[in-house]
Amino acid sequence: MNQTAKDQAPLVELIGIEKRFGGLHAVNGVSVDLMPGEVVGVLGHNGAGKSCLMRMLSGAMLPNAGTIRVNGRPVQIASPQDARDHGIETIYQTLALADHLDAPANLFLGRELKDRFGNLDDKRMMSEAREVLRRLNPNFTNLADPVASLSGGQRQVIAIARAIYFDVRILIMDEPTAALGPSETAMVADLIKTLRAEGIGIFLVSHDMHDVFDLCDRVMVMNKGRNVGTHPIHDVNKDDVLGLIIKGALPDDWTPRHLEVAG
Amino acid sequence: MAELVQRLRRAGSSARLSKEAFHKLSAVLTMLILIVVFSIGNGAFLSVNNGLTILLQTAVIGLLGIGMTMVIITGGIDLSVGSVLALSGTVTGMLVKAGVPVVPAMLGGVATGAICGAINGLIVTKMRITPFVATLGMMLIARGTALQLTGAAPISQLGEAFGVLGNGSLFRVVEMQANGFPRVVFPGIPYPVILLAIVAVLASFLLRRRPLGRHIYATGSSEEAARLSGVNTDRTKILAYVMSGGLAGLAGVVLMSRLITAQPNEGVMYELDAIAAAVIGGASLMGGVGNISGTMIGAFIIGILRNGLNMSGVSSFVQQIIIGVVVILAVYVDQLRSRR
Ligand SMILES: Nc1ncnc2c1ncn2[C@@H]1O[C@H](COP(=O)(O)OP(=O)(O)O)[C@@H](O)[C@H]1O
Ligand SMILES: [Mg+2]
Repeated sequence: MNQTAKDQAPLVELIGIEKRFGGLHAVNGVSVDLMPGEVVGVLGHNGAGKSCLMRMLSGAMLPNAGTIRVNGRPVQIASPQDARDHGIETIYQTLALADHLDAPANLFLGRELKDRFGNLDDKRMMSEAREVLRRLNPNFTNLADPVASLSGGQRQVIAIARAIYFDVRILIMDEPTAALGPSETAMVADLIKTLRAEGIGIFLVSHDMHDVFDLCDRVMVMNKGRNVGTHPIHDVNKDDVLGLIIKGALPDDWTPRHLEVAG
Repeated sequence: MAELVQRLRRAGSSARLSKEAFHKLSAVLTMLILIVVFSIGNGAFLSVNNGLTILLQTAVIGLLGIGMTMVIITGGIDLSVGSVLALSGTVTGMLVKAGVPVVPAMLGGVATGAICGAINGLIVTKMRITPFVATLGMMLIARGTALQLTGAAPISQLGEAFGVLGNGSLFRVVEMQANGFPRVVFPGIPYPVILLAIVAVLASFLLRRRPLGRHIYATGSSEEAARLSGVNTDRTKILAYVMSGGLAGLAGVVLMSRLITAQPNEGVMYELDAIAAAVIGGASLMGGVGNISGTMIGAFIIGILRNGLNMSGVSSFVQQIIIGVVVILAVYVDQLRSRR
């Protein structure tokens, strides 16, 4: 994170967020914030509660308790539409695509382009979709096919395109490269850097240590629903992060890494 | 290598396209085969008059089928349309008896259907009752109301104007003969058929070109995905049930007008014909798939089947068996398709 970002107010603050499913405490009093132009990695085992936390910011799920602030103001995010109205866009781990519809229909689902009679403007949606999808993947040709017939990578590209096409200020990426090959993964990394430079804040849920250390300004590790540590990326190394993920704690004698180097 | 994969994929997609076309083609073929078989069996089958009879029968199934298609695309089902048809027709008859002019009375009938549909939609979305159970309940409620309101007795003597919608026709050509008796040169296109054509075009436009149509497909394809994309899936589903109910009301008005009697007992098991029409036409009970042109072909197949079997003297009991088999076969084909 650069210095100017540090001086700014947070884009998002999640404070004491709770989510229970019956006896299961999926998210347990988690607080974390996100600055403009910052990438915060969200790490943790499968089932640690990462997706749940993100879904509460996306409006896909309601928290049982806690406060969400956007640009310093407390907000109610009761639906995905509410989140979008705050400039929050999400690439869901499940992608959330309608299998029977084609790529343009999915890209514009819920905010279709219309002509002056309010009818669907499929021509314009097709040409816009072609442009944005080709930018992400030059080989994207089968735009008129139902997305069920596309490869995992192509489907993921549609989900990514949908999140960045519109006016996004806060981007949630839940394992965005899970179904991607190496070249597409590199493209997503470039994309994240570009968006960060534009001042967009990003929560990046990822298992890929290389990506995390390459892209993130801070990491937040979840373990059994709790936030067990939020650290600037320069303060930790891979072993620290793995320790947090697995044991939920850092060694007793741990000190921030950059101090070690400096001292 | 990558190019090969791409080529294979493209080949796969065009194969799938032709698969959809194949489904429609096979439905049209089925229809033609039925026409040929029934024509050979009975010379009178292929007459203008019988053609019109079939069109008239198809009009009611078609109107119900269009609404059913919308609901089925959202991933639901509407078992109440036969009963809603009866209730709407009955309400129209009672309004006419109470002195309301025919046109507003008929609009009242359509509104009654739409209200039943709205209740279905609210039960499905707000009470989270499965569409099967919710509309099964409405099936009993609407039928019971129709029977209760009338004491199960038909309402007749509704006046000539009441019968115009169901019995009138456009472009009817009548010639005066030398003996002073009129001779019908061309019986004209019955109003119900014109109504069906208009509704079919409007419904097709709604599904293809309006955002609501897109949301209907998206909701049936994946309700969760549609919701996360900002689609108001509850509203979408409620509107689909309202349209199904409203069209059932319209079908009821047409049918009772044709009989010039409001019959609270009419329309029993019509929901099965409507479902069969939609499914034969390619709608999938899993949701996300279906279209109006397919349903129209399906409605004609059912109409021709019923009419042809009638004319061949097949008893109504055996007809039920045959239609039952057709419905199961159509759903089986649907499953084969989605298992692919
Ligand atoms: N809708 C739900 N209903 C019940 N339990 C859920 C639901 N969603 C998630 N969970 C549970 O909450 C816990 C956290 O899940 P999740 O946030 O998906 O973990 P992850 O960190 O892998 O993304 C898991 O134990 C999961 O089974
Ligand atoms: Mg997850």
